[in-house]
Amino acid sequence: MSEFEKLRIITKYEFLKHLRRRRLYAVIGIVIAVALSILVGLPAFSVDYPDDITAMAGMLSISATLASIGAVFFAGDAIAGEFEGKTGYILFLRPVRRTTLVIGKYLACYAAVALIILLGYGIVCVSLLGIYGQIPIEVGTSFVLCLLFAGSVLSLTFFFSSISKGTMGATVMTLAFIMLISGTIDGVLMIADQPSWFLLSRAGDAIIVVYPGFKAIMMAGMGIGMPAGAIEYDIGLCAAAMATYLVICFFLSIFFMRRREML
Amino acid sequence: MREAIVIENLTRYYDGFLALDNLSLKIEENEDVALLGPNGAGKTTAIKILCGLLRPSSGTAYIDGINVVQERELALSKVGAIVETPEFYPYLTPEETLSYLGKLGGIRGRELKSRIEEAIKLVRLEGWAKVKIEKFSRGMKQRLAMAQALLHDPPILILDEPALGLDPRGMVEVREIFKEARKEKTVFFASHLLTEVAQVCDKVAIIDHGRLRAYDSVALLKRKYRSLERAYLKLTEAAI
Repeated sequence: MSEFEKLRIITKYEFLKHLRRRRLYAVIGIVIAVALSILVGLPAFSVDYPDDITAMAGMLSISATLASIGAVFFAGDAIAGEFEGKTGYILFLRPVRRTTLVIGKYLACYAAVALIILLGYGIVCVSLLGIYGQIPIEVGTSFVLCLLFAGSVLSLTFFFSSISKGTMGATVMTLAFIMLISGTIDGVLMIADQPSWFLLSRAGDAIIVVYPGFKAIMMAGMGIGMPAGAIEYDIGLCAAAMATYLVICFFLSIFFMRRREML
Repeated sequence: MREAIVIENLTRYYDGFLALDNLSLKIEENEDVALLGPNGAGKTTAIKILCGLLRPSSGTAYIDGINVVQERELALSKVGAIVETPEFYPYLTPEETLSYLGKLGGIRGRELKSRIEEAIKLVRLEGWAKVKIEKFSRGMKQRLAMAQALLHDPPILILDEPALGLDPRGMVEVREIFKEARKEKTVFFASHLLTEVAQVCDKVAIIDHGRLRAYDSVALLKRKYRSLERAYLKLTEAAI
């Protein structure tokens, strides 16, 4: 049997596992709840929807961005869980290369996350059509960037999962890296008016900054005193940064997984 | 007769601790050999290396003539194994689990279906085939572990204390399944339960502190030391 055929089997059953887990439906619930809170919350407080359709699209796209972060919860146990949960004593006894296992698991995680992102952008499109009767082109760009961001978050989580003893460690380390470490350095660099496009948290902002109307809201919200460069995003550089995280962390996770032993 | 398993000068350190010290063994086709030794003797380490789960510090091992260290996947295709107390994905049923593992082992279509049915019947899990494993007891999981080891009808079985953690009834059940399944197979079986070994195996390799102390037939060891128990105690007394 070819490794490609084995890859197909691993992806199928790993995806089935995701479909059976509550966390998939929890993340779907969060995405829907956030979108609903915007769609219902604004009229509830007698606030009109923004005149600029791209501002509304940006607000609604935040829910889909959350799905990308939700990727951490799908991938945290992908590798570490096999060791910690002892399921590796069954899976690693099959005549399958570790590389094939990692790729299959990655594809299954990505499919699960992409499904939620698709749902999130589906809500964005239906809502915009219902309110404004049109969908701006930026939604497509944001969607592609969101898929790329999810891929890079997954790769980063796989990397931490390949070197962590346990699932919790991998999940916490990934979230700490994105939100605390990357986020803090981003803040410092913003204040110092230095480029920070290479940080994953900053690169991820590109998903909503592609909407001009939402970017204007962000600029207003940042207040006086923030350097001009703080709200300037080069979308191409951000995409390149995300792609770099995706590729490097993915290969590192394969590297460490291949060397890891069932002690 | 062909050699099904060959272990050559296997040595393994864990951060400076010597767990396996130049272990060498040859097991011929269709032989049932027990690897006997006290806790921490190096049984599980030897089995993990044979199953490609650990790398040796030095030495090597062959399964059906295939070098496990260099051609892990090919060697594993000849083996059915239970190592430590394995766990299963709780969200899947035994049928789904065996289907997943069987497909990865290269079994397809009707053959896979009938093998799954046979394996589930052999381990007496017929009524539980479509129930998620999250509801299973330790004993049921151990029976499922036997099913996955036998699923692809491998010529070689490597079992690491398959009755570990089971109650007396569970131990008897696993032993019965094992007796039924081992026909025309080479069995390499780690244990520290003398009664289990005496009932199941023809030959015994006794190890202690990672070193081979004796490798002979159960009958010969009984004759030489008057009982298997005395042989075990005498040969592993350094551990006491």
